[in-house]
Amino acid sequence: MVNLFPEKLLTIITIDLMEEKLVQSFKKYGVSGYTILRARGEGSSGQPSDMSGFDANILVKVILPEERLDGLLGSLERKIRKGYHMTVFIADVQVMTPEKFDKTLR
Amino acid sequence: MSSLSNLLIPAVLFFALGCIARLIKSDLRFPPDLAKMLSIYLLMAIGLHGGYELAKADMMTAINSILWALALGISLPIIGYLLLIVTRKVNPLDAAAISAHYGSVSAGTFLTAIAYLDNSGVSYETYPLIMLAVMESPAIIVGLILASKARQLQAVRGGDGLSSGAVAINNGDEEHGNNNFGTLLREAFTNGSVVVLIGSMIIGAISLPSGMNKLFPFINDIFMGALCLFLFEMGMVAAKRIGDFRQVGLVLAAFGIVMPLIGGVLGVFIGNNILGFSVGGSTLVAVLGASASYIAVPPAMRLAIPEANPSFYLTLSLGITFPFNVIVGIPLYHNLAQVLAG
Repeated sequence: MVNLFPEKLLTIITIDLMEEKLVQSFKKYGVSGYTILRARGEGSSGQPSDMSGFDANILVKVILPEERLDGLLGSLERKIRKGYHMTVFIADVQVMTPEKFDKTLR
Repeated sequence: MSSLSNLLIPAVLFFALGCIARLIKSDLRFPPDLAKMLSIYLLMAIGLHGGYELAKADMMTAINSILWALALGISLPIIGYLLLIVTRKVNPLDAAAISAHYGSVSAGTFLTAIAYLDNSGVSYETYPLIMLAVMESPAIIVGLILASKARQLQAVRGGDGLSSGAVAINNGDEEHGNNNFGTLLREAFTNGSVVVLIGSMIIGAISLPSGMNKLFPFINDIFMGALCLFLFEMGMVAAKRIGDFRQVGLVLAAFGIVMPLIGGVLGVFIGNNILGFSVGGSTLVAVLGASASYIAVPPAMRLAIPEANPSFYLTLSLGITFPFNVIVGIPLYHNLAQVLAG
């Protein structure tokens, strides 16, 4: 049986323009890495037209230890309060290599 | 009738085809970045071409054109903002974001106007091209100044459900790159379209003619085909936006037609009476005044005025004003220019 370790998975769906701001926050709040995918879909405000830098969505995934979650969530909350549209959710996940998520981005 | 001849240009017909494809729910889908790629090509081609011509042009007229482009770019958003506030249909932050679009320009509309003039055999000056480059950015700055005024107003009035702007101001951490005016200025003027357009103009102006001759197949011969593809996709995007028409409402939709008319009239007047351009040149200045940005300004507004509703400004600029200008506006401004020129 492989040993698994608990971590948090933070997922954000937002417009691709937000990428730079999100990455800034990730660096500030000590995230070990992130993955960004282009996303399509539909929500209460309709369907994005999928033109990059204009009206396209991204899906951002970050795995981090629970104790680092609060600072980052606080920064996301401030963005949402400012009016940026973001769908944010957290899930419990298990990872094989926890040491990977202790490092931080430069 | 000249409005009919405007409709019978391949570029405009492809725009219509794009709309139709969307309305009949065709499964036609362009690769995600095609429009972006085409718009870089179009700006590059028109910039090279314009720079090449401008190298032979008169410096005084060029400087005059730049000054009047600035005047248009600064005054149009203020006019738009006041009009929108008077209608009371949107809050001040939405008004600021929408009016910034109307002070800036749409290269797509400008290029369609060039296709129209070429098609009608009307000659035009190249100065409006510098004006196109100049007018991309000032309106963004004006829109942001209007927005920060609107936020202050709301902060004074206090909690009315729209106070998120007030929160934003008091909360100076990393999210606020965009409340810093220097950053804003830099972002507005280093905007991708501006860099491509001005850069290509400079390259076109200083390159040796022999080198430019080799480029002509790339920037001239295939230009209209690329424009057709671009407008094809823009037709689909515009038609998608027309669906949001109900959300925008009749008064705002009317703004999407009245505002380009105001800008168009101002533009014809500046082109013909102040800058002394020909009918073709004045038509192009009118198009600059009339058109609303849908490439440079929406991302800037989305980042800097997140409180504003994007479906307002996107529907207005892309779903209403752009098709209006392409189909009705351009021939109208051309006629106006002819009347004014006597």
